[in-house]
Amino acid sequence: MPRKVTGGGLTTVDKYYQDYGCRARELKKQGKQIIGYLCAFTPAELITAAGMVPFRIKGDVNEPITKADTEMETIVCPLVRSCFDMALKGKYEFLDGIVIPHACDSICRTYDVWKYSLNLPYAHFINMPHGTGDASLEFYQEVLNTFKTSLSKFAGKEISDGALTEAIKLHNQNRARVKELYQLRKASPPQISGEELTKVLITAMSLPVEESIEMLGEVIAEVKGRGALSAQKPARIMVIGAQVDDIAFIKLIEDSGAWVVADDLCPGAREFMAQVDVTPDPIAGLAERYLRKIKCGRTYREMEGNYQEYLEDRFGHMGRMVDDFGVDGVVLYIYKYCDPFGFEVPQIKSYIEAKGTPVLYLEDEYSMSTIGRLRTRIQAFLELLVK
Amino acid sequence: MTEEKKPEERKKRRTATEAASKIGPMVRASIGGTVQAREEGKPLAYTFICCCYDEIIRAMDVVPVWTENYAGVCGAKRDAQRFLERAESENFSRSLCTYALCGLGFDAWREELGEMPPESPWGGQARPDMMLGSGQLLCDPRNKWYQAAQHYMPDVPIYDVGLPWPAYENDYDYREVQDYYVKYIVEELKGLVKFLEKHTGKKMDWERLSELVELTDRTWDLIWEAYELRRAVPTPMGTGDAMNTMVPMVFMMGTQEAYDYYKDLYDELKVKIANKEGVIPDEKYRLIWGGGLPSWFALTDFNYFNSKGAVFPVETTYRMIEATYNFDMDLSKITDPLEHIAWRWVKFWTYWHDRARKRPGSHPDVERLIKYIEDYKIDGIVMHEAFSCRSWHVGLIWQLNLLKKVYRDIPSLILESDIVDISSYNEADTRARIDAFIDTLEAVKSR
Repeated sequence: MPRKVTGGGLTTVDKYYQDYGCRARELKKQGKQIIGYLCAFTPAELITAAGMVPFRIKGDVNEPITKADTEMETIVCPLVRSCFDMALKGKYEFLDGIVIPHACDSICRTYDVWKYSLNLPYAHFINMPHGTGDASLEFYQEVLNTFKTSLSKFAGKEISDGALTEAIKLHNQNRARVKELYQLRKASPPQISGEELTKVLITAMSLPVEESIEMLGEVIAEVKGRGALSAQKPARIMVIGAQVDDIAFIKLIEDSGAWVVADDLCPGAREFMAQVDVTPDPIAGLAERYLRKIKCGRTYREMEGNYQEYLEDRFGHMGRMVDDFGVDGVVLYIYKYCDPFGFEVPQIKSYIEAKGTPVLYLEDEYSMSTIGRLRTRIQAFLELLVK
Repeated sequence: MTEEKKPEERKKRRTATEAASKIGPMVRASIGGTVQAREEGKPLAYTFICCCYDEIIRAMDVVPVWTENYAGVCGAKRDAQRFLERAESENFSRSLCTYALCGLGFDAWREELGEMPPESPWGGQARPDMMLGSGQLLCDPRNKWYQAAQHYMPDVPIYDVGLPWPAYENDYDYREVQDYYVKYIVEELKGLVKFLEKHTGKKMDWERLSELVELTDRTWDLIWEAYELRRAVPTPMGTGDAMNTMVPMVFMMGTQEAYDYYKDLYDELKVKIANKEGVIPDEKYRLIWGGGLPSWFALTDFNYFNSKGAVFPVETTYRMIEATYNFDMDLSKITDPLEHIAWRWVKFWTYWHDRARKRPGSHPDVERLIKYIEDYKIDGIVMHEAFSCRSWHVGLIWQLNLLKKVYRDIPSLILESDIVDISSYNEADTRARIDAFIDTLEAVKSR
C-alpha cells in the first residue's frame, strides 16, 4: 500500500493526528473500502482480512456537540456522543460501513441510532457476551463467525482462514511495536512523552495495519535515536480510564509538571498488550483474545478464589504497571455516564491505594470546557505527590 | 454521613383499578418477608427483574431480594436521597443508574452499621447470601452493580447469567442464529442451577421447575389477554395503574399468586368494560407511554394527565411478556425446562422482527409502537428520559424520528427526570410541558 506522507515517524504522526482520517480519505479515493468502528472490542483483524481498512471513529473534545443531540440522548457517554456528532457533521464521510461491538450500554444501545442515521451500505453489531466462561467463549466464536459471514457477503468474497491468519499476524506485529514503544517510557526521564505516545496510538487507529506498523517502526527508531527527554519532572503518572482519544488531558498533566509514563486506556496498554494466538481455527484465537485477554470493565470476569484474588485478577495488571513503570501516582479519569468504569471506581482506587500509590479520581465530560477545573485538581495532586 | 429529615408521607395515589391498589401492601409484605426470611436463615439472593431465572429460584426456594424494587420503593417514598448521597461519598458518580446507587449506598451503610440504616423504608433491604447478575443486550448495571456491591460484601458470591438475544440486522434473519443463542442461554442457566445447588446445599427439583415454567407460560398469556382488554374505549386501566400491576409480572413470576392476581385483574377489567367504566368519564386523548421507566416519586403525573382528559391505554414499559401462543413455535413442545425458558426469552426479544422486515426502513421497536398506536387508537406518545439509565432511555428520540419517517407524524412528548433521584424533577416544569402537549393534541384533533 503506497505511503503518501514522508518525513519521519513523529512528523507523519503529527500530520495524521491533526487531520484525523485524512489517510482513510485518500485510500477511499483510491478505491479502498473503509469500515468505521467503535471501541477496542471490534476485532479489526476480520476487517483487514476482508481487504478493507478498519478505521476507529474518534470524537473531538474541541468541537461542541450539536447535531448529535437531535438524534441521540444527552445521557449517553459524552465520548460516544462526540463520535456520533463528528460522523453526522461529515467528518467521516468516507465510511462504507460501521461495526459496533457490544461494549457498554452507551455503545450498544446506540447501535440502531448509528445504523439508521448514517445509513451506510454496511452495518453490523457484534454481540459479544459479558462472561468469560467456556460457554461464553463458544458463543462468542459463533458471533464472530456470523460477523465473518456477514462481512464476506458485503465484501463479495469469502474471508479465508489463510487471509484471517495473515491479518492476525499483522495486527500482532502492530501490537508488538506498540509494546516496544511502551518500553521507552520506563527510563527516567522517559524517552517518549505521554503526549507524543498518545498521538502515535491515536494515529495508529486511523491507518491500515501495514501502514501503522511502518509508522510505528519509524517512530521507535526516531525516539531511540534521540535518547531520553531532557526535562526531569518530579512525578511519573499513570492514567486509568476508558477511551482517551485526544491529547488534551495527557498534555494537561505533562504541562502541570509530570510525565505520563503508563496507562490502562484505549487506545493504550489495555488494548495493545494482549496478542492473538495463531490457532488452526483463527476465530478461536480471536475470541480468546477479545473475550479473555483484554481486561476491561465491560467484561464480567467470573470470581475464582477469594475476593482478594478476584481483585488481583481484575486489577493486578494495573498494579504491575505501577511497579514496572515506576509510577508515583495514578489518575483515574472517568467520563460521566460511563457505567463499566464508573462502578469500578471504589474498587480500583482502594486496590491501588492499598499498594501505597496515591490515586486521584476525576470525573469529566469529554470537553475542553472542563480543562481549567481539571488543571486545578491535577496541580493539587502533583503537589501532594512531590511533598 | 448526615441524616436527612424524614420525608413527609405522601397521600396514596388514586388508582382506577382495585388490582393496582392492592400492590402497595403486597410489595411491603414482600420486602418485609425478605427481612424475616433472613432472620429465619432461608437462602436469600439479590436479583434483577427480567433475567430468566424466576422459576429457577422459586423451584430452589431461594428468596429473591429485588434490588431494583427496593430502590424504586425508596424513590416512591421520596427517601432515596440519603442513600444516593452515601453512594456518591463512596466515589460512585451520580450519573450512574440511581437504582444501583441507591442500593449501593444502602449496602455500604448497612454493612458499616451491621444493621439496617435508621428508619429504612419498609424495614430495609436484607443482606443476601448470593447475588444473581446478568449480561444482556442492555443494562450494564446488571453485571456491574453486584460486582461493586462486593466492595462492601466481599463474602457474598455472584453468578452472572449470560442472556443475549439477536440484534435486528439487515443482512440476516435472527432464525439463522437463534439456535446458538438458545444453546448458550441453556448452558448459562445450567451453570446457575449448579451455583444455587452449591450455595443452598439443595438439589434442583426438575419436576417442580417444569410445573413452574408451564405456570409462567400461562401467566404470560393471561397478562397479555388482560392488557389487551385495555383497547376498549373508554379504557378501563391506564399506565399509571400498569406501573403497579407490573409488580407480579416482574417480581412474582413463577408463582400461583401472580397467576391469580392477573386472573382477578382480567375479571375486573371485563366488568369495567361491560359497565363502560373508564379511567376517566370523558376520555379526550388516548396516549401511549412509549418508552422509559417512570419517575417513581411522581406517579401522580399520570393522574395529572387524567385531569386533562388524557388516558394511557397502553405502554411499552414493563410489558415484558407476549402471548406465547403467538410465537412462531409451539413452546409447549419444548419439554426441557431450561431450554423452554431460553426459547421463550429469544422469541420474546425477536417477536417484532418479522413485522419490521415487512416495512422498508422500519425497526422492531418502531413496529411495536405502530401496532399499539393502531390497536389502542392512540393520539399521542409520551416518553420519559431518565438521566441515570441508558438501558431503557437511549434511542427514544431516534424511535420518534423513525416513526415519523416510516409511518406518520404523531404528537409526542419526552419528559426528562429520573427514576429515583428526585433532585432531577421539577413538578411545575413537568406539568407545564404536559399542558403544552395537551394543547398540541387539541390542536391536532381540531384540524
